[in-house]
Amino acid sequence: MRSFRDRIRTGRPRGVWSALPPLAAAAIPLALIAAIVVTLVRAGSGHGWLLNLGLDWNPSTGEPSLSNFGVLVFLVGSFATALPALALVLLFSLALGAATALYLPRRISLVLNGFVDLLAGIPSVVYGIWGFWIVAPVFGTVINPWLNGHLGFVPGFGGPVPSTGVGIPLAVFVLTLMTLPLTAVLVRESLLAVPVTYREAGLALGATRWEVFRRVLLPFARRRIGGAALLGFGRAFGETVAVFMVIGDATKIPVNIFDLSYTVPGVLVGQFDSAFVQPNYLAALAQLALVLLAISLLINIGGRWLVGRVGRGASLVPGVA
Amino acid sequence: MIAVPDPASLAPAPAGFLEVDHLSVRAGARTILDDVTLNIPDRTVTGVLGPSGCGKTTFIRCLNRMVELSRGLRLEGSVRLLGRDLYDRAIDPALVRRRIGMVFQRPTVFPSSVFENAAFGLRLVHASEEEVDRRVEDALRRSGLWDEVRDDLDRSALSLSGGQQQRLCIARALAVEPRVLLLDEPTSNLDPQGTQRIEATVRRLREDIAIVIVTHNVGQAARISDRVAFLHAGRLVEVGPTADILERPREALTEQFITGRFS
Amino acid sequence: MSAASETAWAEWFSPEELGHFRRRRSIDRWFGRLLPVVFLVAIIPILDLVYWVSQRSLPTFTWAILTTNPTGNAGGLYGPLVGTVYLLLMGLAIAVPLGILAGLASGVFLPHPWGEVVRGAGDLLVGTPSVILGYFGYFALVLYLGWGASLLAGGVTLGIFMLPYVARTSDQAFSSVPTDLRDAALGAGARLRQYAARIAFPIALPQVLSGIFLAAAIGIGETAPLLWTALFSSYPPTQLSEPTGYLTGLIWNYFDEPPTFGTEVTLAFQAALILIAIVVAMNVIVRVLAERSRRKLEGLYG
Repeated sequence: MRSFRDRIRTGRPRGVWSALPPLAAAAIPLALIAAIVVTLVRAGSGHGWLLNLGLDWNPSTGEPSLSNFGVLVFLVGSFATALPALALVLLFSLALGAATALYLPRRISLVLNGFVDLLAGIPSVVYGIWGFWIVAPVFGTVINPWLNGHLGFVPGFGGPVPSTGVGIPLAVFVLTLMTLPLTAVLVRESLLAVPVTYREAGLALGATRWEVFRRVLLPFARRRIGGAALLGFGRAFGETVAVFMVIGDATKIPVNIFDLSYTVPGVLVGQFDSAFVQPNYLAALAQLALVLLAISLLINIGGRWLVGRVGRGASLVPGVA
Repeated sequence: MIAVPDPASLAPAPAGFLEVDHLSVRAGARTILDDVTLNIPDRTVTGVLGPSGCGKTTFIRCLNRMVELSRGLRLEGSVRLLGRDLYDRAIDPALVRRRIGMVFQRPTVFPSSVFENAAFGLRLVHASEEEVDRRVEDALRRSGLWDEVRDDLDRSALSLSGGQQQRLCIARALAVEPRVLLLDEPTSNLDPQGTQRIEATVRRLREDIAIVIVTHNVGQAARISDRVAFLHAGRLVEVGPTADILERPREALTEQFITGRFS
Repeated sequence: MSAASETAWAEWFSPEELGHFRRRRSIDRWFGRLLPVVFLVAIIPILDLVYWVSQRSLPTFTWAILTTNPTGNAGGLYGPLVGTVYLLLMGLAIAVPLGILAGLASGVFLPHPWGEVVRGAGDLLVGTPSVILGYFGYFALVLYLGWGASLLAGGVTLGIFMLPYVARTSDQAFSSVPTDLRDAALGAGARLRQYAARIAFPIALPQVLSGIFLAAAIGIGETAPLLWTALFSSYPPTQLSEPTGYLTGLIWNYFDEPPTFGTEVTLAFQAALILIAIVVAMNVIVRVLAERSRRKLEGLYG
């Protein structure tokens, strides 16, 4: 016989079992992450730790025991594309956020932001084919030679310029477009989350709109903008298909910023087919996938922690604001 | 560097100090303020009293062009400070607001130190360090906050109590040396003690500048204002010295409001 | 500022401050002019993309392209088009029920800190590079479970890819139902389960649907999760255990063929055009549904 007090506390007698369905449903995303990790660990095992931070990526298909898996080239390529893209994206996101929060009428900014959101909908592979056939010649014959000619004295801007146009600058361009919608929406939300009275307080002190942006909104939104930047970096770092299609995929350290390069996700998607036949090659790629997953999880955990919950439309899914 | 000339030296001698002349504000077909005419004298506290929704906040926001930030409002009439039209197309609202400061219902301290909050308006004009130091101290003294924060000006402004934050907002407005200070229900979110400190500050400030304070609290108007303007449904019902309005109101509406028959 | 009125105000400010102010105001005005231009710069690439993809695909676009299979150096898109639809439907069959369940769990059932943990896990999955999903699908489904490269493996992998999008958007939908309604329902003696099914679900439905369309729009454009799970084929799949083609895979396979060889590059651009059309249409549906749910919620909040 249950005591009266027990009944009050629990409302009605309830078994442990009724809590099970929601717990099971809740476990789905967590279980998926765990399953991905376990699968990659299993796929990467059996040959010891194969990766090193060296320059020499040599799967040596003829004599597997002579293989060496130095991943530095891919890390360099990933950072050399994701970091500049992030800088551009942040600059654009702040400008778009300031325009939306302070300068443009609501209706106009709604339409313009809708266009930016549309960038998120274009499939990666479509960016790739557009970049490869349409934009690459522009970079190869106009933009890269111009940068080379005018800024050649800056370290990294001199030296040979590949005429096809594929390479780091094109990858940065495509990455910027692909990362912009997510970062722009997060930056915009964090600026708009600053209560209107603070904007008015700045203006009431005789500040211009620019000064309100610079000295009121930015300090308020600093933390969330940092989070948006981190999440944007995560996106750019993990982008696979489009970058593979426009960066040239050369396994070497680039000689200058116009050179071809290769990224971590790029090698994962680009060399999987050739690794089928060679167990230690496949295991090395699985280990590299695990490294990429770890980096991406860390970046996303950090970014999400900084961003917190932005408004009621809190989401890392661009397009639904 | 922010020279504030003595108003007496300005020629020609103005007819009034802050003059509101046939001011109307409309939003579409709705009239928020209806033909308000009123002179706000220098070195006095003018209390704007009225029930909620009577247009008090819109009225005070007309006095430093903050009203222009709300979309869809149309203004008629004029507001003049010492004979100069605030809404002259040639005058930038940012300049107007540096001479007519404003403090809001909720404290709006920025996420930085006490010192940097008070210095906000001075930093905009690149004042020298000595001048910033001097003016920040002066403003904090005038707002009555100096003794409470002088030992640690670098502490975060967000760590202050609500009442202290509101006085910091007053200090921040005072630091740019306005001639008029607008207070929009500054104590509506404060406890009695915080309210008392703000009221004491306002009484002291009357010696230097003109103050317009919006309140829906008859007691507060009686305690701190020299003159009272009573607004109802967008119209100015009556205006005059506090004692006259609160003790011998000429209009029935005013009497009903101050005796608490509606609020 | 006209000279006359400036002098009228000049008495109120030192010449120094007025000079400062003119500089401050011109900075502000420059930004006022620059920022809309930044918007244009951000928008031009997408117009350029749509223009050139149409340019490269429309002149040779015929109905035959939709009804014939690719032949290696010519042909149409029939097989990959059908494969895309099958993969998407299979993926949704997995992502929709499981995603909504996960969204219900974090949006309605779980107490405070745990809902946030599940949400965080969903966000981490959204942020996982798609090539990782491809590896997972290949090793776990194709290899360890022995399904082989097939429509089944590809569809399930795509479903896992889309699941967190459905989960996150339906979580948002359920969380945005006013808490008053929940309190009222529980206060009237309803169980949480009854509240979820009879009150929260109908209110959240448009937003949940909008999330499903969004997930589908993102899923249909994915390449990497399918490359080794669905593999590729020129023909429409006839059973679950067969590899299948899909539009993104066709672009991936054909995009860098030499243009003199045949019409594959044009075919790839035609596939891209179809993808863009589908994705834009789905995004329009997403917006319409989101707008409808916003109105519904506004009505509820009064």
